[in-house]
Amino acid sequence: MNPKTADRLASAVLWMLGGITLAALIFVVAQILIRGLATALNPSFFLGRPRAFQEGGGVLPMLVSSIYLAVWTLVIALPVSLGAAIYLAEFARTGSKAAAAVRFCADSLASLPSIVFGLFGMTFFVIYLRWGTCLLAGACTLALLNLPVLMRSAEESMRAVPATYREASLGLGAGRWRTVRQVVIPSAMPGILAGTVLTVGRILGESASLIFVMMLVTRKTPSFNPLSNAAPLASNIWYTQTEAIIPDYRRVVDGGAALLLLLVLAVNLAARSLGKAYSRRKGVKTANA
Amino acid sequence: MPELEHKMHIGDLSLFYDGFKALEDINMKVYCRRITALIGPSGCGKSSLLRCLNRMNDLVEGARVEGRIELDGEDIYAVGCDLTHLRRRVGMVFQKPNPFPMSIFDNVAYGPRLEGRKGRGDLEEIVERSLRRAALWDEVKDKLKQSALALSGGQQQRLCIARVLAVQPEVILLDEPCSALDPISTQRIEDLLAELKDSYTIVIVTHNMQQAARVSDFTAFLTIENQGEPGRLVEYGETEEIFTRPRDPRTENYITGRFG
Repeated sequence: MNPKTADRLASAVLWMLGGITLAALIFVVAQILIRGLATALNPSFFLGRPRAFQEGGGVLPMLVSSIYLAVWTLVIALPVSLGAAIYLAEFARTGSKAAAAVRFCADSLASLPSIVFGLFGMTFFVIYLRWGTCLLAGACTLALLNLPVLMRSAEESMRAVPATYREASLGLGAGRWRTVRQVVIPSAMPGILAGTVLTVGRILGESASLIFVMMLVTRKTPSFNPLSNAAPLASNIWYTQTEAIIPDYRRVVDGGAALLLLLVLAVNLAARSLGKAYSRRKGVKTANA
Repeated sequence: MPELEHKMHIGDLSLFYDGFKALEDINMKVYCRRITALIGPSGCGKSSLLRCLNRMNDLVEGARVEGRIELDGEDIYAVGCDLTHLRRRVGMVFQKPNPFPMSIFDNVAYGPRLEGRKGRGDLEEIVERSLRRAALWDEVKDKLKQSALALSGGQQQRLCIARVLAVQPEVILLDEPCSALDPISTQRIEDLLAELKDSYTIVIVTHNMQQAARVSDFTAFLTIENQGEPGRLVEYGETEEIFTRPRDPRTENYITGRFG
Protein backbone atom coordinates (compact mmCIF):
# COMPACT_ATOMS: atom_id res chain seq x y z
CA MET A 1 0.00 0.00 0.00
CA ASN A 2 1.45 3.38 -0.87
CA PRO A 3 1.58 6.12 1.79
CA LYS A 4 -1.18 8.12 0.20
CA THR A 5 -3.68 5.27 0.23
CA ALA A 6 -2.65 4.39 3.77
CA ASP A 7 -3.32 7.96 4.87
CA ARG A 8 -6.70 7.98 3.18
CA LEU A 9 -7.64 4.66 4.70
CA ALA A 10 -6.52 5.72 8.15
CA SER A 11 -8.39 8.98 8.04
CA ALA A 12 -11.53 7.22 6.76
CA VAL A 13 -11.41 4.66 9.57
CA LEU A 14 -10.70 7.29 12.24
CA TRP A 15 -13.44 9.52 10.89
CA MET A 16 -15.83 6.59 11.06
CA LEU A 17 -14.88 5.77 14.65
CA GLY A 18 -15.36 9.40 15.61
CA GLY A 19 -18.71 9.29 13.87
CA ILE A 20 -19.79 6.21 15.83
CA THR A 21 -18.92 7.90 19.13
CA LEU A 22 -20.82 11.01 18.18
CA ALA A 23 -23.80 9.02 16.94
CA ALA A 24 -24.03 7.05 20.19
CA LEU A 25 -23.93 10.26 22.18
CA ILE A 26 -26.54 11.96 20.01
CA PHE A 27 -28.77 8.90 20.20
CA VAL A 28 -28.77 8.83 24.01
CA VAL A 29 -29.19 12.57 24.43
CA ALA A 30 -31.90 12.71 21.77
CA GLN A 31 -33.79 9.82 23.36
CA ILE A 32 -33.75 11.49 26.75
CA LEU A 33 -34.79 14.87 25.39
CA ILE A 34 -37.52 13.56 23.07
CA ARG A 35 -39.11 11.62 25.87
CA GLY A 36 -38.70 14.03 28.71
CA LEU A 37 -37.86 17.56 27.65
CA ALA A 38 -41.47 18.76 27.60
CA THR A 39 -42.03 17.44 31.10
CA ALA A 40 -38.72 18.68 32.41
CA LEU A 41 -39.37 22.24 31.27
CA ASN A 42 -42.82 22.31 32.80
CA PRO A 43 -42.71 24.42 36.00
CA SER A 44 -45.37 22.25 37.60
CA PHE A 45 -42.84 19.40 37.26
CA PHE A 46 -39.56 20.89 38.42
CA LEU A 47 -41.21 23.19 40.95
CA GLY A 48 -44.02 20.79 41.90
CA ARG A 49 -44.30 18.42 44.81
CA PRO A 50 -44.40 14.70 44.33
CA ARG A 51 -47.64 12.81 44.68
CA ALA A 52 -48.44 9.29 45.66
CA PHE A 53 -51.17 7.22 44.00
CA GLN A 54 -52.14 10.01 41.62
CA GLU A 55 -50.88 11.66 38.47
CA GLY A 56 -49.25 15.03 37.99
CA GLY A 57 -46.61 15.06 40.73
CA GLY A 58 -43.40 17.11 40.55
CA VAL A 59 -39.82 16.60 41.66
CA LEU A 60 -38.82 19.81 43.44
CA PRO A 61 -37.62 18.10 46.66
CA MET A 62 -35.51 15.66 44.62
CA LEU A 63 -34.00 18.44 42.54
CA VAL A 64 -33.11 20.33 45.70
CA SER A 65 -31.63 17.21 47.32
CA SER A 66 -29.49 16.54 44.26
CA ILE A 67 -28.00 20.02 44.34
CA TYR A 68 -27.68 19.97 48.12
CA LEU A 69 -25.98 16.59 48.02
CA ALA A 70 -23.53 17.85 45.38
CA VAL A 71 -22.73 20.92 47.49
CA TRP A 72 -22.03 18.86 50.61
CA THR A 73 -19.97 16.35 48.69
CA LEU A 74 -17.78 19.08 47.21
CA VAL A 75 -17.45 20.83 50.57
CA ILE A 76 -16.02 17.59 51.95
CA ALA A 77 -14.06 16.34 48.95
CA LEU A 78 -12.54 19.51 47.49
CA PRO A 79 -10.33 20.60 50.41
CA VAL A 80 -9.01 17.08 50.93
CA SER A 81 -8.35 16.37 47.26
CA LEU A 82 -6.81 19.78 46.61
CA GLY A 83 -4.57 19.44 49.63
CA ALA A 84 -3.46 15.99 48.55
CA ALA A 85 -2.92 17.19 44.99
CA ILE A 86 -0.77 20.09 46.20
CA TYR A 87 1.31 17.67 48.23
CA LEU A 88 1.72 15.28 45.30
CA ALA A 89 2.45 17.90 42.66
CA GLU A 90 4.46 20.43 44.62
CA PHE A 91 5.91 19.07 47.83
CA ALA A 92 6.55 15.35 47.37
CA ARG A 93 10.06 14.53 46.20
CA THR A 94 10.35 12.59 42.97
CA GLY A 95 10.45 8.93 43.83
CA SER A 96 8.85 9.59 47.22
CA LYS A 97 7.41 6.34 48.57
CA ALA A 98 4.61 8.13 50.39
CA ALA A 99 3.52 9.91 47.21
CA ALA A 100 3.67 6.68 45.24
CA ALA A 101 1.50 5.00 47.87
CA VAL A 102 -1.05 7.81 47.75
CA ARG A 103 -1.21 7.62 43.96
CA PHE A 104 -1.51 3.85 43.98
CA CYS A 105 -4.37 3.97 46.50
CA ALA A 106 -6.12 6.71 44.57
CA ASP A 107 -5.85 4.86 41.29
CA SER A 108 -7.12 1.66 42.89
CA LEU A 109 -10.02 3.49 44.50
CA ALA A 110 -10.90 5.15 41.22
CA SER A 111 -11.48 1.79 39.58
CA LEU A 112 -13.77 0.41 42.29
CA PRO A 113 -17.46 0.18 41.41
CA SER A 114 -19.52 2.76 43.22
CA ILE A 115 -21.66 0.14 44.90
CA VAL A 116 -18.63 -0.91 46.95
CA PHE A 117 -18.37 2.63 48.25
CA GLY A 118 -22.04 2.42 49.12
CA LEU A 119 -21.45 -0.71 51.17
CA PHE A 120 -18.48 0.88 52.89
CA GLY A 121 -20.48 4.03 53.60
CA MET A 122 -23.24 1.94 55.11
CA THR A 123 -20.94 -0.01 57.42
CA PHE A 124 -18.83 2.99 58.41
CA PHE A 125 -20.96 6.15 58.47
CA VAL A 126 -24.41 4.64 58.94
CA ILE A 127 -23.68 1.77 61.31
CA TYR A 128 -20.29 2.26 62.93
CA LEU A 129 -20.52 6.02 63.43
CA ARG A 130 -24.24 5.64 64.19
CA TRP A 131 -25.29 8.48 61.90
CA GLY A 132 -28.11 6.39 60.53
CA THR A 133 -29.08 6.80 56.91
CA CYS A 134 -28.93 10.44 55.96
CA LEU A 135 -27.85 12.91 53.30
CA LEU A 136 -24.56 13.56 55.10
CA ALA A 137 -23.69 9.86 54.96
CA GLY A 138 -24.49 10.02 51.25
CA ALA A 139 -22.28 13.07 50.79
CA CYS A 140 -19.38 11.43 52.65
CA THR A 141 -19.73 8.29 50.56
CA LEU A 142 -19.78 10.29 47.34
CA ALA A 143 -16.84 12.34 48.56
CA LEU A 144 -14.83 9.14 48.98
CA LEU A 145 -15.99 7.92 45.61
CA ASN A 146 -14.88 11.10 43.86
CA LEU A 147 -11.79 11.87 45.86
CA PRO A 148 -9.35 9.99 43.60
CA VAL A 149 -10.54 11.56 40.37
CA LEU A 150 -10.69 15.04 41.86
CA MET A 151 -7.23 14.64 43.34
CA ARG A 152 -5.60 13.25 40.24
CA SER A 153 -7.14 15.80 37.91
CA ALA A 154 -6.03 18.64 40.21
CA GLU A 155 -2.56 17.12 40.43
CA GLU A 156 -2.31 16.84 36.65
CA SER A 157 -3.44 20.45 36.22
CA MET A 158 -0.77 21.63 38.65
CA ARG A 159 1.87 19.54 36.95
CA ALA A 160 0.92 21.15 33.65
CA VAL A 161 1.84 24.58 35.06
CA PRO A 162 5.23 25.39 33.50
CA ALA A 163 8.19 25.00 35.85
CA THR A 164 9.38 28.42 34.69
CA TYR A 165 6.51 30.05 36.63
CA ARG A 166 7.70 28.41 39.81
CA GLU A 167 11.30 29.40 39.12
CA ALA A 168 10.28 33.00 38.53
CA SER A 169 8.34 33.11 41.76
CA LEU A 170 11.03 31.43 43.85
CA GLY A 171 13.64 33.63 42.18
CA LEU A 172 11.79 36.69 43.45
CA GLY A 173 12.13 35.40 46.97
CA ALA A 174 8.72 33.76 47.35
CA GLY A 175 8.48 30.63 49.47
CA ARG A 176 7.07 27.40 48.15
CA TRP A 177 3.67 27.83 49.70
CA ARG A 178 3.39 31.40 48.41
CA THR A 179 4.34 30.15 44.97
CA VAL A 180 1.70 27.44 45.08
CA ARG A 181 -0.99 29.79 46.29
CA GLN A 182 -0.29 32.75 44.07
CA VAL A 183 1.08 31.24 40.89
CA VAL A 184 0.46 27.50 40.59
CA ILE A 185 -3.15 27.28 41.73
CA PRO A 186 -4.38 30.28 39.73
CA SER A 187 -2.67 28.89 36.63
CA ALA A 188 -4.08 25.42 37.24
CA MET A 189 -7.57 26.75 37.97
CA PRO A 190 -9.10 25.98 34.55
CA GLY A 191 -8.04 22.34 34.91
CA ILE A 192 -9.16 22.11 38.52
CA LEU A 193 -12.53 23.57 37.53
CA ALA A 194 -12.89 21.09 34.69
CA GLY A 195 -12.22 18.20 37.06
CA THR A 196 -14.71 19.59 39.54
CA VAL A 197 -17.41 19.91 36.91
CA LEU A 198 -16.89 16.30 35.86
CA THR A 199 -17.24 15.30 39.47
CA VAL A 200 -20.44 17.28 39.88
CA GLY A 201 -21.80 15.40 36.90
CA ARG A 202 -20.92 12.12 38.55
CA ILE A 203 -22.48 13.16 41.87
CA LEU A 204 -25.71 14.22 40.19
CA GLY A 205 -25.88 10.99 38.27
CA GLU A 206 -24.92 8.64 41.08
CA SER A 207 -27.62 6.37 42.44
CA ALA A 208 -26.25 2.88 43.12
CA SER A 209 -24.03 3.71 46.09
CA LEU A 210 -26.69 5.90 47.67
CA ILE A 211 -29.16 3.06 48.05
CA PHE A 212 -27.27 1.88 51.13
CA VAL A 213 -26.59 5.14 52.90
CA MET A 214 -29.74 7.20 52.40
CA MET A 215 -33.37 6.30 52.76
CA LEU A 216 -34.76 7.30 49.43
CA VAL A 217 -37.85 8.78 50.99
CA THR A 218 -40.18 10.74 48.80
CA ARG A 219 -40.30 14.03 50.63
CA LYS A 220 -43.17 16.38 49.97
CA THR A 221 -41.09 19.43 50.77
CA PRO A 222 -37.34 20.04 50.41
CA SER A 223 -35.25 19.59 53.53
CA PHE A 224 -31.96 21.29 54.26
CA ASN A 225 -31.07 19.21 57.27
CA PRO A 226 -28.03 17.13 56.27
CA LEU A 227 -29.02 14.52 58.83
CA SER A 228 -32.40 13.93 57.24
CA ASN A 229 -33.15 11.50 54.46
CA ALA A 230 -33.96 12.46 50.93
CA ALA A 231 -34.07 11.04 47.45
CA PRO A 232 -31.87 12.84 44.93
CA LEU A 233 -33.10 13.01 41.35
CA ALA A 234 -31.07 10.10 39.98
CA SER A 235 -32.06 7.75 42.79
CA ASN A 236 -35.63 8.89 42.42
CA ILE A 237 -35.61 7.89 38.77
CA TRP A 238 -34.47 4.41 39.69
CA TYR A 239 -36.96 4.19 42.55
CA THR A 240 -39.89 5.51 40.54
CA GLN A 241 -39.15 3.20 37.65
CA THR A 242 -38.98 0.10 39.83
CA GLU A 243 -41.23 0.61 42.82
CA ALA A 244 -43.33 3.74 42.79
CA ILE A 245 -47.07 3.42 42.80
CA ILE A 246 -48.06 6.32 40.62
CA PRO A 247 -49.90 5.90 37.36
CA ASP A 248 -47.70 8.37 35.43
CA TYR A 249 -44.38 6.92 36.54
CA ARG A 250 -43.09 6.98 32.95
CA ARG A 251 -43.62 10.69 32.79
CA VAL A 252 -41.81 11.25 36.09
CA VAL A 253 -38.90 9.01 35.02
CA ASP A 254 -38.48 10.55 31.56
CA GLY A 255 -38.91 14.07 32.85
CA GLY A 256 -36.46 13.38 35.67
CA ALA A 257 -33.86 12.06 33.24
CA ALA A 258 -34.19 15.10 31.01
CA LEU A 259 -34.07 17.42 34.00
CA LEU A 260 -30.89 15.71 35.20
CA LEU A 261 -29.32 16.17 31.79
CA LEU A 262 -30.23 19.86 31.77
CA LEU A 263 -28.87 20.25 35.29
CA VAL A 264 -25.51 18.77 34.32
CA LEU A 265 -25.45 20.97 31.24
CA ALA A 266 -26.24 24.03 33.35
CA VAL A 267 -23.43 23.19 35.78
CA ASN A 268 -21.05 22.82 32.86
CA LEU A 269 -21.98 26.17 31.35
CA ALA A 270 -21.88 27.88 34.73
CA ALA A 271 -18.40 26.53 35.40
CA ARG A 272 -17.25 27.70 32.00
CA SER A 273 -18.41 31.25 32.48
CA LEU A 274 -17.05 31.17 36.03
CA GLY A 275 -13.68 30.10 34.66
CA LYS A 276 -13.75 32.82 32.03
CA ALA A 277 -14.68 35.48 34.56
CA TYR A 278 -11.87 34.26 36.80
CA SER A 279 -9.36 34.39 33.97
CA ARG A 280 -10.45 37.89 33.03
CA ARG A 281 -10.18 39.11 36.60
CA LYS A 282 -6.73 37.61 37.01
CA GLY A 283 -5.55 38.45 33.51
CA VAL A 284 -4.83 34.74 33.28
CA LYS A 285 -4.46 33.26 29.85
CA THR A 286 -2.96 29.86 30.36
CA ALA A 287 -1.67 27.59 27.69
CA ASN A 288 -3.66 24.61 28.91
CA ALA A 289 -6.94 26.46 29.24
CA MET B 1 43.29 43.01 36.68
CA PRO B 2 42.52 46.38 38.32
CA GLU B 3 41.69 46.68 41.99
CA LEU B 4 37.94 46.89 41.93
CA GLU B 5 35.48 46.41 44.71
CA HIS B 6 33.92 42.97 44.40
CA LYS B 7 30.35 42.08 45.14
CA MET B 8 30.56 38.33 45.12
CA HIS B 9 33.44 35.98 45.67
CA ILE B 10 33.34 32.41 44.44
CA GLY B 11 35.94 30.27 46.21
CA ASP B 12 36.91 26.67 45.37
CA LEU B 13 33.37 26.01 44.26
CA SER B 14 32.40 22.54 43.13
CA LEU B 15 28.88 21.49 42.24
CA PHE B 16 27.51 17.96 42.27
CA TYR B 17 24.29 16.56 40.91
CA ASP B 18 24.02 13.33 42.90
CA GLY B 19 27.25 11.54 41.95
CA PHE B 20 27.99 13.70 38.92
CA LYS B 21 30.43 16.54 39.33
CA ALA B 22 29.21 19.44 37.22
CA LEU B 23 31.68 22.14 38.27
CA GLU B 24 35.14 21.90 39.80
CA ASP B 25 37.23 24.41 41.71
CA ILE B 26 35.76 27.60 40.39
CA ASN B 27 37.47 30.71 41.73
CA MET B 28 36.40 34.14 40.62
CA LYS B 29 35.20 37.52 41.80
CA VAL B 30 32.15 39.33 40.55
CA TYR B 31 32.82 43.05 40.51
CA CYS B 32 30.48 45.76 41.68
CA ARG B 33 28.46 47.57 39.04
CA ARG B 34 30.09 45.73 36.19
CA ILE B 35 28.74 43.20 33.73
CA THR B 36 30.36 39.81 33.95
CA ALA B 37 29.73 37.38 31.11
CA LEU B 38 29.98 33.61 31.48
CA ILE B 39 30.76 31.93 28.17
CA GLY B 40 31.63 28.42 27.10
CA PRO B 41 30.37 25.46 25.10
CA SER B 42 27.07 23.76 25.86
CA GLY B 43 27.21 21.64 28.98
CA CYS B 44 30.22 23.42 30.46
CA GLY B 45 28.20 24.39 33.50
CA LYS B 46 27.93 28.13 32.99
CA SER B 47 24.19 28.17 33.72
CA SER B 48 24.78 25.89 36.71
CA LEU B 49 27.37 28.31 38.01
CA LEU B 50 24.95 31.20 37.56
CA ARG B 51 22.29 29.28 39.45
CA CYS B 52 24.67 28.74 42.34
CA LEU B 53 24.85 32.49 42.85
CA ASN B 54 21.29 32.77 44.18
CA ARG B 55 20.96 29.14 45.17
CA MET B 56 18.41 28.28 42.49
CA ASN B 57 20.25 24.97 42.28
CA ASP B 58 18.71 24.13 45.62
CA LEU B 59 15.57 23.34 43.64
CA VAL B 60 17.30 20.51 41.84
CA GLU B 61 17.05 17.32 43.84
CA GLY B 62 20.44 15.89 44.64
CA ALA B 63 22.34 19.12 43.96
CA ARG B 64 25.18 19.75 46.41
CA VAL B 65 27.76 22.49 46.61
CA GLU B 66 31.27 22.50 48.04
CA GLY B 67 33.35 25.62 48.57
CA ARG B 68 31.95 29.04 49.25
CA ILE B 69 30.19 31.88 47.57
CA GLU B 70 30.27 35.18 49.39
CA LEU B 71 27.94 38.08 48.89
CA ASP B 72 29.44 41.18 50.47
CA GLY B 73 31.70 38.92 52.46
CA GLU B 74 28.97 36.64 53.80
CA ASP B 75 28.77 33.00 52.77
CA ILE B 76 25.42 32.43 51.07
CA TYR B 77 25.72 28.69 51.63
CA ALA B 78 26.19 29.12 55.37
CA VAL B 79 23.66 27.42 57.61
CA GLY B 80 20.89 29.83 58.47
CA CYS B 81 21.20 31.91 55.32
CA ASP B 82 17.78 33.33 54.54
CA LEU B 83 16.99 32.13 51.01
CA THR B 84 14.16 34.58 50.56
CA HIS B 85 16.40 37.46 51.50
CA LEU B 86 19.22 36.15 49.29
CA ARG B 87 17.00 35.84 46.23
CA ARG B 88 15.73 39.36 46.71
CA ARG B 89 19.28 40.65 46.80
CA VAL B 90 20.32 38.46 43.87
CA GLY B 91 17.54 38.50 41.28
CA MET B 92 17.32 36.28 38.23
CA VAL B 93 16.11 36.61 34.65
CA PHE B 94 15.62 33.35 32.81
CA GLN B 95 16.36 32.06 29.35
CA LYS B 96 12.78 31.97 28.18
CA PRO B 97 10.70 34.99 29.14
CA ASN B 98 8.49 33.68 31.94
CA PRO B 99 5.99 36.32 32.99
CA PHE B 100 3.27 35.00 35.26
CA PRO B 101 -0.12 34.50 33.63
CA MET B 102 -1.33 37.66 35.31
CA SER B 103 -1.68 41.30 34.36
CA ILE B 104 1.41 43.36 33.60
CA PHE B 105 0.87 45.31 36.81
CA ASP B 106 0.54 42.20 38.96
CA ASN B 107 3.69 40.74 37.45
CA VAL B 108 5.79 43.69 38.50
CA ALA B 109 3.99 44.04 41.83
CA TYR B 110 4.52 40.37 42.67
CA GLY B 111 7.83 40.82 44.44
CA PRO B 112 6.92 43.98 46.40
CA ARG B 113 3.70 42.30 47.49
CA LEU B 114 5.71 39.40 48.86
CA GLU B 115 7.44 41.91 51.07
CA GLY B 116 4.05 42.93 52.35
CA ARG B 117 3.71 46.16 50.41
CA LYS B 118 0.02 46.47 49.71
CA GLY B 119 -0.79 50.17 49.31
CA ARG B 120 -2.12 50.94 45.86
CA GLY B 121 -0.20 54.21 45.52
CA ASP B 122 2.96 52.63 46.81
CA LEU B 123 2.71 49.73 44.35
CA GLU B 124 1.80 51.99 41.45
CA GLU B 125 4.93 53.99 42.07
CA ILE B 126 7.15 50.90 42.23
CA VAL B 127 5.58 49.44 39.10
CA GLU B 128 6.04 52.63 37.12
CA ARG B 129 9.61 53.12 38.30
CA SER B 130 10.53 49.50 37.50
CA LEU B 131 8.90 49.54 34.08
CA ARG B 132 10.60 52.83 33.24
CA ARG B 133 13.92 51.42 34.36
CA ALA B 134 13.34 48.37 32.13
CA ALA B 135 12.53 50.67 29.18
CA LEU B 136 9.06 49.21 28.86
CA TRP B 137 6.87 51.88 30.44
CA ASP B 138 5.98 53.78 27.28
CA GLU B 139 4.87 50.62 25.55
CA VAL B 140 2.64 49.31 28.31
CA LYS B 141 1.52 52.27 30.42
CA ASP B 142 -1.98 52.19 28.92
CA LYS B 143 -2.48 48.48 29.34
CA LEU B 144 -1.16 47.61 32.76
CA LYS B 145 -4.28 45.59 33.48
CA GLN B 146 -3.86 43.38 30.41
CA SER B 147 -2.37 39.94 30.51
CA ALA B 148 1.41 39.91 30.36
CA LEU B 149 1.22 36.94 28.01
CA ALA B 150 -0.18 39.18 25.27
CA LEU B 151 3.15 41.03 25.05
CA SER B 152 5.82 40.14 22.49
CA GLY B 153 8.75 37.98 23.52
CA GLY B 154 11.10 40.94 23.82
CA GLN B 155 8.58 42.92 25.84
CA GLN B 156 7.99 39.91 28.07
CA GLN B 157 11.70 39.65 28.77
CA ARG B 158 11.92 43.34 29.65
CA LEU B 159 8.88 42.80 31.88
CA CYS B 160 10.76 40.01 33.62
CA ILE B 161 13.65 42.40 34.14
CA ALA B 162 11.24 45.01 35.51
CA ARG B 163 9.81 42.36 37.82
CA VAL B 164 13.28 41.70 39.20
CA LEU B 165 14.06 45.43 39.49
CA ALA B 166 10.89 45.92 41.52
CA VAL B 167 12.39 44.05 44.47
CA GLN B 168 15.46 46.30 44.30
CA PRO B 169 18.12 43.64 44.01
CA GLU B 170 21.84 44.34 44.24
CA VAL B 171 22.87 41.68 41.75
CA ILE B 172 20.99 40.60 38.62
CA LEU B 173 21.67 37.21 37.08
CA LEU B 174 20.64 36.69 33.48
CA ASP B 175 20.61 33.20 31.99
CA GLU B 176 20.88 33.58 28.22
CA PRO B 177 18.19 36.26 28.32
CA CYS B 178 18.19 36.87 24.58
CA SER B 179 18.36 33.35 23.22
CA ALA B 180 14.63 33.30 22.49
CA LEU B 181 14.50 36.83 21.09
CA ASP B 182 14.87 38.46 17.68
CA PRO B 183 17.83 40.77 16.97
CA ILE B 184 15.93 44.00 17.60
CA SER B 185 14.64 42.83 20.97
CA THR B 186 18.12 41.56 21.75
CA GLN B 187 19.60 44.95 21.10
CA ARG B 188 17.07 46.60 23.37
CA ILE B 189 17.96 44.23 26.19
CA GLU B 190 21.65 44.90 25.63
CA ASP B 191 21.10 48.67 25.70
CA LEU B 192 19.12 48.20 28.86
CA LEU B 193 21.90 46.20 30.50
CA ALA B 194 24.39 48.95 29.69
CA GLU B 195 22.16 51.40 31.53
CA LEU B 196 21.49 49.13 34.46
CA LYS B 197 25.11 48.49 35.25
CA ASP B 198 25.39 51.96 36.76
CA SER B 199 23.31 50.72 39.65
CA TYR B 200 23.52 46.95 39.63
CA THR B 201 26.06 44.18 39.50
CA ILE B 202 25.16 42.00 36.54
CA VAL B 203 26.17 38.47 35.62
CA ILE B 204 25.04 37.18 32.24
CA VAL B 205 25.34 33.74 30.70
CA THR B 206 25.44 33.90 26.94
CA HIS B 207 25.96 31.57 24.04
CA ASN B 208 26.60 34.49 21.83
CA MET B 209 30.22 35.62 21.88
CA GLN B 210 29.54 38.89 20.13
CA GLN B 211 27.06 39.61 22.85
CA ALA B 212 29.62 38.91 25.56
CA ALA B 213 32.09 41.15 23.75
CA ARG B 214 29.53 43.92 23.30
CA VAL B 215 27.98 44.14 26.72
CA SER B 216 30.37 42.78 29.31
CA ASP B 217 33.28 44.27 31.24
CA PHE B 218 34.59 40.92 32.42
CA THR B 219 34.39 37.54 30.79
CA ALA B 220 34.80 34.11 32.28
CA PHE B 221 35.42 31.21 29.93
CA LEU B 222 34.39 27.78 31.17
CA THR B 223 34.80 24.49 29.39
CA ILE B 224 34.72 20.73 29.77
CA GLU B 225 37.53 18.63 28.42
CA ASN B 226 35.50 15.51 27.80
CA GLN B 227 31.92 14.40 28.20
CA GLY B 228 31.24 13.45 31.82
CA GLU B 229 34.00 15.62 33.24
CA PRO B 230 33.23 18.66 35.36
CA GLY B 231 33.23 22.17 33.97
CA ARG B 232 36.27 24.26 34.88
CA LEU B 233 37.06 27.93 34.69
CA VAL B 234 39.76 28.29 32.06
CA GLU B 235 40.25 32.00 31.95
CA TYR B 236 38.76 35.03 33.59
CA GLY B 237 39.61 38.63 32.99
CA GLU B 238 38.63 41.87 31.36
CA THR B 239 36.52 41.21 28.31
CA GLU B 240 38.85 43.11 26.02
CA GLU B 241 41.81 41.05 27.18
CA ILE B 242 39.96 37.78 26.80
CA PHE B 243 38.82 38.57 23.30
CA THR B 244 42.00 40.17 21.99
CA ARG B 245 44.81 38.52 23.94
CA PRO B 246 43.57 35.26 25.43
CA ARG B 247 46.27 33.58 27.48
CA ASP B 248 44.95 30.05 27.20
CA PRO B 249 44.88 28.32 23.80
CA ARG B 250 41.51 26.76 24.66
CA THR B 251 40.01 30.22 25.10
CA GLU B 252 41.48 31.32 21.82
CA ASN B 253 40.13 28.27 20.03
CA TYR B 254 36.69 28.86 21.44
CA ILE B 255 36.41 32.55 20.68
CA THR B 256 37.78 32.14 17.21
CA GLY B 257 35.19 29.48 16.59
CA ARG B 258 37.45 26.48 16.27
CA PHE B 259 35.35 24.39 18.62
CA GLY B 260 32.23 24.46 20.80
